[in-house]
Amino acid sequence: MDFSLSSEQEMLRNEARKFLDKECPESLVREIEKRRDGYSPELWRKIADLGWLGMVFPEEYGGLGSSVLDLAVLYEEFGKAMFPSPHLSTVVLCGLLLASAGNEEQKKEILPRIAKGDLILALAWTEPEASLGSTAWEPAGVTVSAVPDGNDYIVTGTKLFVHDAHIADYLLCVARTKREGPAEEGISLFLVDAKSPGMKRTLLKTTAGDKQCEVIFDTVRIPGKNLVGKLNGGWGPLFQALQRGAVMLCAQMVGAGKEILKITVEYAKTRIQFDAPIGVNQYVQEHCTELASYVDGCRFVTYQAAWRLAEQLPCDFEVAIAKGWCSDAFEAACLCAHSVFAGYGYTSKDGVLPLYSRRGKTQQLYLGDGPFWRKRIADALDTRTFQKPKGKALGLWKGGPEDEIPAWKVWRREDLQEV
Amino acid sequence: MEFGFTEHQEKLRKEIREFFSSELPEDYEPDTENMGKEVQAFMMQLKDKAVKKGYYVPGWPKEYGGAGYTEIDQGILDEEMGYAGVLWPDFLGLHLVGPTLMMIGTEEQKKRFIPPIARGETVCFEAFTEPEAGSDEANVQLKAVEDGDSFVLSGQKVFISGAFEPNWLFTLARTTQTVPKHRGLTLFLVPANLPGITFRPLPTMGGGRQNEIYFDEVRVSKEYLLGEINRGFYHAMMVFEFERRMTGAASRGKRQLEELIAFCKETKRDGKPLMEDPHVRDTLAGLAIQCEVQRLAGWHSTWAFAERDEIGPMPYDLSNYYAKKWAAPHAKAMTDIIGLYAQLRTGSKWVPMMGRLERMWKVTRSMHAGGTFEVIKIVLAQRGLGLPRIPAQLMTAAGEAIKKGSKSA
Repeated sequence: MDFSLSSEQEMLRNEARKFLDKECPESLVREIEKRRDGYSPELWRKIADLGWLGMVFPEEYGGLGSSVLDLAVLYEEFGKAMFPSPHLSTVVLCGLLLASAGNEEQKKEILPRIAKGDLILALAWTEPEASLGSTAWEPAGVTVSAVPDGNDYIVTGTKLFVHDAHIADYLLCVARTKREGPAEEGISLFLVDAKSPGMKRTLLKTTAGDKQCEVIFDTVRIPGKNLVGKLNGGWGPLFQALQRGAVMLCAQMVGAGKEILKITVEYAKTRIQFDAPIGVNQYVQEHCTELASYVDGCRFVTYQAAWRLAEQLPCDFEVAIAKGWCSDAFEAACLCAHSVFAGYGYTSKDGVLPLYSRRGKTQQLYLGDGPFWRKRIADALDTRTFQKPKGKALGLWKGGPEDEIPAWKVWRREDLQEV
Repeated sequence: MEFGFTEHQEKLRKEIREFFSSELPEDYEPDTENMGKEVQAFMMQLKDKAVKKGYYVPGWPKEYGGAGYTEIDQGILDEEMGYAGVLWPDFLGLHLVGPTLMMIGTEEQKKRFIPPIARGETVCFEAFTEPEAGSDEANVQLKAVEDGDSFVLSGQKVFISGAFEPNWLFTLARTTQTVPKHRGLTLFLVPANLPGITFRPLPTMGGGRQNEIYFDEVRVSKEYLLGEINRGFYHAMMVFEFERRMTGAASRGKRQLEELIAFCKETKRDGKPLMEDPHVRDTLAGLAIQCEVQRLAGWHSTWAFAERDEIGPMPYDLSNYYAKKWAAPHAKAMTDIIGLYAQLRTGSKWVPMMGRLERMWKVTRSMHAGGTFEVIKIVLAQRGLGLPRIPAQLMTAAGEAIKKGSKSA
C-alpha cells in the first residue's frame, strides 16, 4: 500500500499544472466553449510537443510508453483546468484501442500521426434508443449495421452523443455485424474516414457546452482493411477502452473536485454574513466536510483503478467502483459547493463553479453512469460468497441471551445495590 | 502508488485468515455487545490462543511483546479480525492504553503495566465520558484531590462501554479547578477494584451493557498517574487518535455484505432468487461501492500514519467519517431487502440470518461511541480544512446568557 506519486509523476503534475495555468486560463475555457471547434488547435500542437498526445503509446509508434497511471495524473490536471480538447476521444478511447486491437499497418499509419498532433479521432458508439436510461454502453445498444459488400462494408444508422466528431479526421465506428447470438458477439469496429460520402455530423447543444454530435451514416462505404480487430470481436477491446476512458473521466473529476473544495473552503472563510465569515456556521462546515469526503473518495477509487489498469491486473470490479462512485459523488460534491456559494455559484458571468458543475453533467453520464456501473458491480458480486468458519459448532449463539444483562457484577458498596 | 500487498503481506493475511477460520466455530455470531457467560469464556480462550500465536499485539515494539509487524501488517490483522467478527475483550487496552503508556508512561509504569496487557491478562475500560462531558471532553468533573502520595477521586463516569469485567479504568480527572478547563485535567490508570468504586450496569438498546461508574473518595496512588499532571486533556487528544485508527469497520461491512449476498442467493421469492431482483442488485452494488471507498480510506489513513514523521493529530482523516456516515444507512439498505423480517430478533422461529441484520440495525443507533459524527465533522472542518470557529469566549458568553435566562424565567 502506497498512496504517493513517484517523483516522475510529481514532475509531470507540476509541469502540467504550470503549463495549463499559463496556457489554459479560465478565459480561454469560456471562449472555446462558445466556439464551434471546441478546442484550440494551437494548444493541441503545443501538447503534442510536450509529448502528451503520444505518451501512452508504445515507443515504436512515436510514444513514450508511459502508463495509464501516469496519464491519470495528467488527467487530474486536465480536470482542474477544464482543458477543452479532443484528448480523451483521440488518445485514450481511439488511440489506445487501436494500439491494443489494430493491426500493424493501422498502428503505423495512425498512432505516430496522433502523437504528432496531426490527427483527431472520435469514438462513434452510443445510439439514440439505447441512450435512454443507462443502457447506452450495453452491447445490445449497438444497432448501426455494417454489411459486407465485396471487399467493403456498408455502414448505416445513427450515432448520438459522439464527442468531437465534428473535428475528427477519423471516426472509430462501433457497428453490428451479426444479429443472431449474444449481443456482444456481433460487434465490430471500423475506422471511418470522416470525409467519406454519406456521413453527416451535426453538433448538439449540451449542458457542458462541450462538443457532442449526431453522426448519420447513410450507406457509407468503408474499405475492408479498415476493420479494427477481429470481425465480431469488437466488444472485448471496446469494453477495455470504456474502462480506460471512464477512469480518465474519474481523474478529471478528482482534479476538478480538489479545486472546487479549495475555492469553496476559501469562500466560506472570507464571505461575511451576519458580521462573521459564513464558515463559522456548522451547516456550512458540514457542506465543506461532505464535499471533502466525496472528493477524497474519488481520489482513492480512481487511483486504485488506474493503478490496476496500469499493472494489467484484473480490474472489472475496481473500475466499476471508480466510475460508479465518481459519477454520483462528483455531482453531490458540486451540490455542496453550490449550497455554500449560493448566488455566487449560479450566476455564470464570472463564477467558476458553474463551469465545473456543468462539465460534471457530461462526466457523470459519459462512458457509463452510476446505474450502468452498478450493474457491473452486481455482476462481480455474483461470484462473492461468505465462507463460514471451519470450527465445530458450539451452539452458544442460538437464541442468544438478549434479555439478560451480561454477566459480571462488581458491586463494591451495599448502599448502591438498589438497582 | 501501490494498491496491492507484498508476497509477505499476502502470506500473513492467509495465515491469519486460516487461524480464525479454524478456531472459530461454524455457528459463530459476531456480536460485541450482547454476550452470555459461555460466549465470554469462549472469547477469553480464543484470545489466549491468539496471544500464544503472536496475533495479539504483533504491532507493538518487540520489547513489549510485539512481533515486529509494520503498520500495514497490523492493518491486515485488523482487517481480517473485522471480517472474522472478532473484537478482543481488552481491545481498549491494546489500542489505547498500551500505546499511551509507551508514549507517556514512566519506565517503571511501562515495565509494570504493559506486559500484562500484552499477555492478554487485562480488561481496560475507557472511562472518560461523564454526564456533563460527552462531546465536550474538557468539561470532565471527576475530582482528583492531591493528598500525600495519592489522589482522592470523587465523581461519576457514564456510558462506559464494556461487557467484560475490567481490571483497569483508563480515566480522566480534574486535578486543578482554577485554570481554564482543558488545562486542569490529568490522566490516570486506576485499578478497578479499589475501595469506593461502584459499577452500575446500563443495559443498551443493542442488548448489551454499558456502565455508570461511581468514585466515592477513591484513594489512587500517584504511581497510577499517567504523563504530566494537568496535561491530561492533551494526552487524551492523542489517545483519541489511537482510537480513530481502529480500522476494522470496512471489513466488518464487507462481511455483512457477503453474508447478505449469500442469503439473497439462497432465498427465493416468486420462484427466483432475491439476487436476481434488479433493485436488490442495485442496492448491493451501492453498498459495495461504499464499502470499497471506506476500505481505501482506512488504508489511506494507515499508510499516512506509517509515513508521517511525527506523532500528532491527524485531523484530516476520513476513515472514521465514512464509517460514522454510512453505518446506519447501510443497516437501512440491508434491512429493507428483507422487509417485514427485519424486525425479527435472534431466537424467533422465522428470523433470517440468525437475526444479524436486526442486531446490526439496533447497534447502528450508537454511532456516537468514540466521538459523535457531529464532532468528527467539526474536527474535520476546523482543523482539517481550516474553517473558522466561533471564539471560545463568545461560546462561553452564550452559555452564561442562557443559564442566566433560565434562572430568571
